This record gives sequence, C-alpha cells and structure tokens, in this order.
Amino acid sequence: MLTGVLHTADLSADRIPTFSVAELNSAIGNLLERGFAPRFLLEATVSRPQLKKGHLWMSLSDGDASISAVVWASQLRQIRFRPEDGDGVTVVGKLNFWAARANLTVQVLDIRPSLTTVMREFERVRRLLEDEEVIQPERARSLPQRPRTVAVLTSVPSSALADMLRTARERWPLTRLLVVPIPVQGAVNERIETVLNHLAEQADTLALDALVLARGGGSREDLAVFDSENLCRELARCPVPVVTGLGHEDDLTVADLVADHRAATPTAAIVVLLPDRHTELQGLRQRQKRLQDWVQTRLIRERQRLVERRYAFAQQSPLLRLERLRQSLNQRRTLLSALSPDRWLQRGLAFVRNQATGEAIVSSHQAKSGDKLDVHLKDGVLQTRVDWVEPKPPSPKS
Amino acid sequence: MTSPPEWTTRIEEWRSDAAALSYEEALQAVDLLLADLQSDTVPLADLQKQVVHGEIYLDHCDALLKAVEANVVNLDPDSLQPVPESTTDDA
Repeated sequence: MLTGVLHTADLSADRIPTFSVAELNSAIGNLLERGFAPRFLLEATVSRPQLKKGHLWMSLSDGDASISAVVWASQLRQIRFRPEDGDGVTVVGKLNFWAARANLTVQVLDIRPSLTTVMREFERVRRLLEDEEVIQPERARSLPQRPRTVAVLTSVPSSALADMLRTARERWPLTRLLVVPIPVQGAVNERIETVLNHLAEQADTLALDALVLARGGGSREDLAVFDSENLCRELARCPVPVVTGLGHEDDLTVADLVADHRAATPTAAIVVLLPDRHTELQGLRQRQKRLQDWVQTRLIRERQRLVERRYAFAQQSPLLRLERLRQSLNQRRTLLSALSPDRWLQRGLAFVRNQATGEAIVSSHQAKSGDKLDVHLKDGVLQTRVDWVEPKPPSPKS
Repeated sequence: MTSPPEWTTRIEEWRSDAAALSYEEALQAVDLLLADLQSDTVPLADLQKQVVHGEIYLDHCDALLKAVEANVVNLDPDSLQPVPESTTDDA
C-alpha cells in the first residue's frame, strides 16, 4: 500500500507530499494502523529475552529476519510460559509503532512454546523423572476390578466429559463418578497441581478407588501442561491408581508415563477402568446355570451312591454268603486231591511202609533182612519180607 | 421341612438382606453358596433353599447392573464438596 502511494506520487511531481520527520512518522503510523492486521500469529525463535522494568524484551527471528518484541508487564502476569533463549514459540501479537523514532516492535499478547520446544521440555522432564524413579512403568499399580468411586479430572463442560459420562453410564453405572473441573488450556499446571493435592489428601474421605485425568483433542502444544514437572510429581504421589486419557492416540505426555495406565483418549480411560456390564451379566447367567446344574449333579451323585449301597447290601445276603463258602470248600477239595499220593500210585508207582513200625520206607538203609513190609499199589497191598538189602553203590562223584 | 408360611418369611428376609448388599458383596455371597454346593456339604433337604437363596443374590446383582443412570457427583475443585448439577453438559 505504501508502495502504491509512492508509485502514485512518482506520476506527478506536483502531488509529491512534503513531510516533517514527525509528520512522516505519524503518517507511517496511521498507515500501519489502518492497513495492518490488528492481531496476528507469528512463528519464531526467541533470542536474548531480558526483563527491563518488569517488561520482557526479546528478539524474534526465523534465521533470515528478526524483529524486536515485548511483553508488557501487565500482560506478563497473565502469561505463564517464560521463553528461554533459543525457544521456538508461537506469538499472538500486534504491531506497536513509536512515531518519535519510527520504531517498530511486536507487542506480545500471548506466547506459547512451539512443538519443538514442547518436545524438548517433554524429554527433559521425562529424563529427570526417570532418573529419580518417579517414572517406573514396572511398578504401575493394577487397576481396581470394579471401582466404586472414581474421580474424573477434566474440563467442565466439555465433549470429553460428556463422552466419558455416556461411556460410564453404558458400561458400569454402579461406579460413583466424582467430576472435578480443571482448566486444561494454557499454563494451568499449578491449578491442576492444587486440585490433585486436595484429592490426594481427601482420597480416603471420598473413598476413591481410582483417578482419571482427561483432556480431549487439541494439539500437542496444548498438552504441554501435562509435561509439567511439578504436576507429574503430584500425579505420582496420588494414593490411588491413576489413568490418563490425554489428547489423541498418538500424543504422549510425561503425565501418561507417570500414570499407572495410559489410555489413548478420555473415553478409552473410562473403558479400561470400568467393567462392561454386558460381560458381567453373562457372568451372572453362568453362575445361575451353575447353581441349577450343581443341584442336578448332586442329585445324580446321590442316586449313584444309593445304587452302590444297595448293591453292597445285597452282597451281604445269607444265601450269597453260603454259596461263597461252598465254592471255597470245593476249591480246597480240588487242591487237596491234586496234592494226594494217589496220583503217583495211579501212575504205577508204589508206596512202601514197615509193617511193624508203620514208617514209610524211602531208603534201603531203613530196612534189613527179615523185615515185613507192606507195598501199597493203586488197587491193593502186598505183604512182603525182606530177604536181603543191597544198597546202591555210591556214585563216583559223591 | 419348612412349612410354606415360614418359607415365604425366609425368602422375604433373604431379599431384604440382599437389597442391602453392594454388587461385589452379593456376587461374593453367590460364589460362597456355589462353593458349598460343590463341596457336597449342603444336606439334600436344603439344596432347593440354597438355590433360591443364590437366585435372590443374582437377581439383586442383575437389578443393580440394569440401572439406567450412573451416579455422577460434581465437586467443587477447591473444597471438593458437591455442587449442583448443570455444569456437566456437553459443551
């Protein structure tokens, strides 16, 4: 536009305006005021930030160009983020033009860390808390199976809260949800720390079983508050298991690492914490079936026992016992018969006995001349007399 | 054997007792009854009573799970005292 004015002035020497320096500067100021956006976003890197009389001065650059910027003291009190030298930032600003010296400065209305700065802070806090063992994934507490009371820290009202309440109602209406509103936009870490501290102190009184820290959507820079070192320390001190549901699935904050369980979204935090009543109802049906089945099983078992007892009783009847005794006698009789010497007599052998003494003669040494012997055969007895005794000569081996 | 009026009274007592239990307590009571049944320590004459008793606990669990409204309490972030509902609507 300024170029346009000069171009027009070139066309006619008569129309070239004449200014004093003050008038020129004033004209430039007016032009800027009328022709430039009242507010704008500026992506830049901060260099040489320094406080002077309560105002924060800095230079904003992108490598090729730079411009000075200031956060007035009155605004500085409302901005929690303090940029360091080299921090990438996004500035909400407006142009300040001082006509006296034609000095142009960006007046910073808000300043937030850029993604690079956010991730650098994330890494710094993560390393620090890992070194101090505040972040210890292996010591994450298990979540209660059916929590009775859960504190939900999130923005109120918000879509995230509405989604969580709807999910809780559908899944498990038996859990009492204590909704504690917290700010989630901007540098609100101290406020959240205070609320967390209150909850930790009153966890017993409130009968808390778990805590959900949730924030829906937003950019990664918006989640920077959950990388706050002190907030994460407060979260780690929480006496009940903590579930985080912050931002989107891909967003990871230090608070997620400190928590006992990280859910991808606020709704997912409720899903992981509360049981599903439809699954639970199926469990009830199974118990009901087992209750009925066990009665049937017991009756069948008792009937079986009755049958066994009836059989055992029948086994004790007198007729059966007599029969068993008879069988036993017969077995013995058969055995005796098998062992009787009659079996050898039947095969042609004889049994010799001294007539006078009745002694069984099994050796020639038991008899002498003149002895009377009875020779028992299978069908009778021969009475004999010994004429002479001739012992068997000893064998060469013996 | 329990006479019908006594039986009715007993059932009413069981229902009243079950109504005072939380979901977890009622579920535990059912599991204890099942364990008794499985160990065969329940006299045959009492089997049906056990089953009815168990059904009462299960009905109570069932009713609790079918509740439509979740119990949501809004707390003041500073005092942690309940505040009137109205701030939890969808944004």
